[in-house]
Amino acid sequence: MEKKKEKRPLLSDAEKNIQSLKEILSAQDILVYRFETADKKLCAAVYADGITDKELLGELAARPLAQENAPKTRLEAEKLLLFPELKEADDAETAAFEILSGNPALLIDGIAGAIILGTKKVALRAVMEPQTAITVKGPREGFIEDVKTNMSLIRRRFKTPNLQFDMLTVGKQSGTAVCVAYLKGIADESLVKKVCARIQETAIDGVPDSSYIAQFLTDRPHSVFKQAGTTEKPDILCAKMLEGRIGILVDGSPIALTLPYMLAEDFQSAQDYFVSPVRATFSRILRLLAVLVAVFLPAMYVAAQLFRLQLLPFGLLMTISGGIRGIPLSPSLEMFFLLIVLEVLIEASIRMPKYVALALSVIGALVLGDTAVKAGLVSSPAIIIIALSGISAYTVPDLTGTISVVRMAYLVAAGSVGIYGVTLLTGLFAYYLVSSDSWGTPLLAPFSPLIKHDLRDSVYKADLFSLRQRPQVFSPKNRTRLRKKSAAQKEES
Amino acid sequence: MKTNKIGMRIFLLIAAFLLLLFFSNDFGLIDIQKTSIITAIGIDAGEEGGMDITAQIAVPEAGNSGKAGNVSVKGARTVGEAISLLNLKTGWYPTLVHCRLILLGEAATKTDVFRSLDYFLRSQFVEDSCLVAVCAERAEDALGAQSPVGDMTYAAIEKVLSSEAQKTGLVSVNNLREFSKGYYSVGKSSFLPVLTLKKDAQAEGGGSSSANESQSGSSAKSASAGSDLFDASSTMLFFRGRQADVLSAEETLAFNLAYTATDFAYGNVSVSENGENVTYNLKIKITKKSEKVSDEKGVPVLRFSIRARAQIADASDAGSAQEVAQSSVVPAFVLQAAQDRLRLQLDAAFKKAQNCGCDLFGVCQSLQRFQPRLLQTLGENALSAAKASFDIRFDTLH
Amino acid sequence: MNEKALNVRQICFLFAAILPVTRMLVYPATLSYRAKNDLVWAALISFAAEFAVIALLLLLAKKTDLTFFGLVQNTFGRVAARIACFVFSLYFFFSSLLPVLEQRGFILQVFYENVSSFLSFIPFVAVSLYASVKGLRSTGRVADLSLPIFAVCIPVLLLLALPEADFTALLPVGSTGAGNIFRSAAEGMNWFGGAAYMLFFLGNFRYEKKSAVKILSAYGIGAAIVLFFLALFYGIFSDIAILQQNALAHISKYATSFTSLGRIDLLFIFALSPVLLFALCLPLQLSTRCAAEALHVRPVFPAAAIHLLLLLFILFFNQSYLEIQTLMTQKLWYVFVVFALLLPALALVLRREKGAGAGGARLKNGRRL
Repeated sequence: MEKKKEKRPLLSDAEKNIQSLKEILSAQDILVYRFETADKKLCAAVYADGITDKELLGELAARPLAQENAPKTRLEAEKLLLFPELKEADDAETAAFEILSGNPALLIDGIAGAIILGTKKVALRAVMEPQTAITVKGPREGFIEDVKTNMSLIRRRFKTPNLQFDMLTVGKQSGTAVCVAYLKGIADESLVKKVCARIQETAIDGVPDSSYIAQFLTDRPHSVFKQAGTTEKPDILCAKMLEGRIGILVDGSPIALTLPYMLAEDFQSAQDYFVSPVRATFSRILRLLAVLVAVFLPAMYVAAQLFRLQLLPFGLLMTISGGIRGIPLSPSLEMFFLLIVLEVLIEASIRMPKYVALALSVIGALVLGDTAVKAGLVSSPAIIIIALSGISAYTVPDLTGTISVVRMAYLVAAGSVGIYGVTLLTGLFAYYLVSSDSWGTPLLAPFSPLIKHDLRDSVYKADLFSLRQRPQVFSPKNRTRLRKKSAAQKEES
Repeated sequence: MKTNKIGMRIFLLIAAFLLLLFFSNDFGLIDIQKTSIITAIGIDAGEEGGMDITAQIAVPEAGNSGKAGNVSVKGARTVGEAISLLNLKTGWYPTLVHCRLILLGEAATKTDVFRSLDYFLRSQFVEDSCLVAVCAERAEDALGAQSPVGDMTYAAIEKVLSSEAQKTGLVSVNNLREFSKGYYSVGKSSFLPVLTLKKDAQAEGGGSSSANESQSGSSAKSASAGSDLFDASSTMLFFRGRQADVLSAEETLAFNLAYTATDFAYGNVSVSENGENVTYNLKIKITKKSEKVSDEKGVPVLRFSIRARAQIADASDAGSAQEVAQSSVVPAFVLQAAQDRLRLQLDAAFKKAQNCGCDLFGVCQSLQRFQPRLLQTLGENALSAAKASFDIRFDTLH
Repeated sequence: MNEKALNVRQICFLFAAILPVTRMLVYPATLSYRAKNDLVWAALISFAAEFAVIALLLLLAKKTDLTFFGLVQNTFGRVAARIACFVFSLYFFFSSLLPVLEQRGFILQVFYENVSSFLSFIPFVAVSLYASVKGLRSTGRVADLSLPIFAVCIPVLLLLALPEADFTALLPVGSTGAGNIFRSAAEGMNWFGGAAYMLFFLGNFRYEKKSAVKILSAYGIGAAIVLFFLALFYGIFSDIAILQQNALAHISKYATSFTSLGRIDLLFIFALSPVLLFALCLPLQLSTRCAAEALHVRPVFPAAAIHLLLLLFILFFNQSYLEIQTLMTQKLWYVFVVFALLLPALALVLRREKGAGAGGARLKNGRRL
């Protein structure tokens, strides 16, 4: 076991303290700004170049200290400084951590310890609508990479003391800030504790993205199916927190995690809550059908050709049969090949610069598809099937990764065992999914186990007034989220 | 954790096995590219008690609904053997799941047709929902006919035998399941439409039949302009699987109006008006019909009850403007004549069926279900002892 | 959340949606072999008998929280309980053999165009093995998934079939004679394992107010659907009913064969196939659980052994469905009467502890059966 290092105290000798900090922070971007007080005592601000607001440091720290005699105590010094965010550090390690976070350590000769000045300045991109969750109606704000900004976006929506942020640090090298957000009295606090404990147990060098944390939060990290919800929009996160879920924000990642997670939530779009319930229900049914098409259509098409021609109506059979004449590949290999091409095109168009991606899609769709058909490599019906499946998968953007893998699995099952292969794989997935849960919440809830109350916001979207209570699946302490109007209010209205 | 590892290994093994099957794709699999889709089967009596089987095979074409080719096997002992020979002859594996029509040559109905038809009941891979009909001559010829509208032959015949045709009473349609039910029922009887090929449609300017090709054996005939029409207005009666008698077109219409799913029909009635013979073409809409077998002092009596509304569709005599305007009103004497005519034809159909032992109207079956004791008493004489009574009433629309 | 493996609703769904589908394949043709047009009455006798035994078991569930193992242990001791479990494990395995071959036949007929390799059905063993290791909780949850599938597919198939049916084919009532009807009912007992399942659900669900009414009503609904299906089946096929080995695949094809959409009914049959799969896994899951309890080992070991045996059985009797069917229905029908009806009914006389609570049902090793 690694021997715990002893902390080096910061004494009243500023020069020695500077030495101590430089020993820890030997990198060249760690700078020391030395200045003197009116009575010629040495002061120094140790800071990380690039992430510290030097102007603010000069105006609010150096100028007042240079104009006055040196303070005798830290309290006196803090009175001179005009910072709203001041902290103290008694040892070099704590001070070094703050310096690396962008907060300079102010050392004053004659005063033990350091004063940490909140002058962090990080280049941030603007809060804008995320590309993966565009809505026609509804808020357009999206999370950014800065955890503090993200927290502020949540705080802005909850003006309640019940909103809690538990701050944790993960990553031995990265020291990434992770924030567990929840609403006290609504979220299950024992779950919050368990999640925090699990995050703290994480022994990893660095956390570049929230997906790393998601892997540590699941019992089935190898699963094809997602184990934690994700969102890039604060309004969605807040809505989920109001249902009793907890949110996890990771510094450096614009994607927030939500726990517990249910598969059904990916079929819900933010827009569903801003349009009429009928429209929302229709959209959800459409999404469900689209996912079924995306997953099953290529497999069923192949299985029908290989094993069960009767599944195809006679007219369609003749059309397909005519179309595939002379194709050198078997139906299953033809579909497999096209699926691979589809995945390659998707991968390439995501990675490529936008203007190239546009050209690529034209090449992919027109040149590749059309030429392949003309060359007799693939048949037109197969291209239509793949196109339909590919487009359908994007009706539920959060599940596209899963759909791609599952679709391929179904294709292999259908191509090797036939329609019964599809049935067996469905059975296997069913047994797998019904026995999976996300922090005590069944993955297939509210369908399995059936939770009648929660069906109101599943495939079917009830009107707002029917959703008076929070989902029962999370067993929230405070179950009511919408109260009936009081008699007096009714009279007024 | 150890179990997880074992589970993962088993999973990988299964996945590898599936991938092997997937990529090898050759484990006795007969896919769409190796299959010939049989749309119709013709069964004719062959030499020395064998049978000649003709299969109409759909030949798909890119960007087209396809054409059809006929392949024949002569002198097979069973249909199963013939199907195997088809495979041998063509190299394609024949699939019968899209077989929608079985045509029996007239000569084949002289013996028990279930010698050949039971193949379709035995096999799991053949549908018993297909239509069955008898050809006035050879089934092979009927399947080789050219439709004037460019349909594949089976499709043209299927239209003649469609449920729409049945609804208008022109054809007594039957499928394999119903035919088999009749064969295995207490009456051991059933019926099939008789398909007659009419080669006189040339002058009617049938369309081109480029989509049609006919082969016999391995030789192909070049496509010719379609000129063949089909008629299925008469009905063959079967007893114990053999041809028993044939109902004429009028008897078939009467049978349909009284017993099958016919809703409306057009029929001609000739009456004498002012000393002249005038033929009225009536549109008859059945409003209610039933048939019931009752026990009347030990005699089974089949009672037909038919209620219909009639309307004049046309008349051979030129009518006045007022008469044409009131064509929904049918004179009482015309209605009476129509009633009499239906009664006469129905009685003729009943007697014809009775005489040949065919329980066309399900008398024995009704007795079995509703009067089992009477059936037991009468035994095999139940049908011959039966009498028919008719309660037919036509009304005019107004 | 309910800590028990099952809940009342899931048992209801099992009786209303999963078990009825198993009686829609070969069972109708088997009944029509002897009972002919009286097949509905023969089935009614079987349903009534099973209903009565389930009612008795629910009475038992109302009075005790103990599992079957616990009840036998209370009365005869631990060794006897383990022997009883082992015997039932054998029974569940035995009772799954005909359904496995039955579904194999169904699969090969409906899912494949021409005679396919037996390889097509073999992967079922892997799925069943996985399901068996998962335990009763997964059984309950797949029942939740099965209900909507059943509720959509079966009405569509029945509605498509309805215009083809002539219900007078069921007349005259009782024409085949009481002997044939009862014999037919007895020969169909292989398809009535519901009471034995219920016996092993004891202690694994929390008996709440009106649980018995709910479960028996669900059973009644399931039975009514099957009886209607049988009536429809005979109404459509009458004298050729015995030829229709996989009734579910046949009844609705006449409405769809000649439509432009083709055999659209096949899609509903395929959609139902996972429910058939769940039903087929059920006796094997229970066999595994019983063996695990009897041998006091983790379920994965008996599951592996049971499924290896099953695999060998499928390989050896791949082409012997009719022989196995004759053996199970005409010669060994009494085995099913004993295990599916008599023994579950006798459970009522076992010693129980009133209000033992959840802990009472728990075995020494902390697991539940």
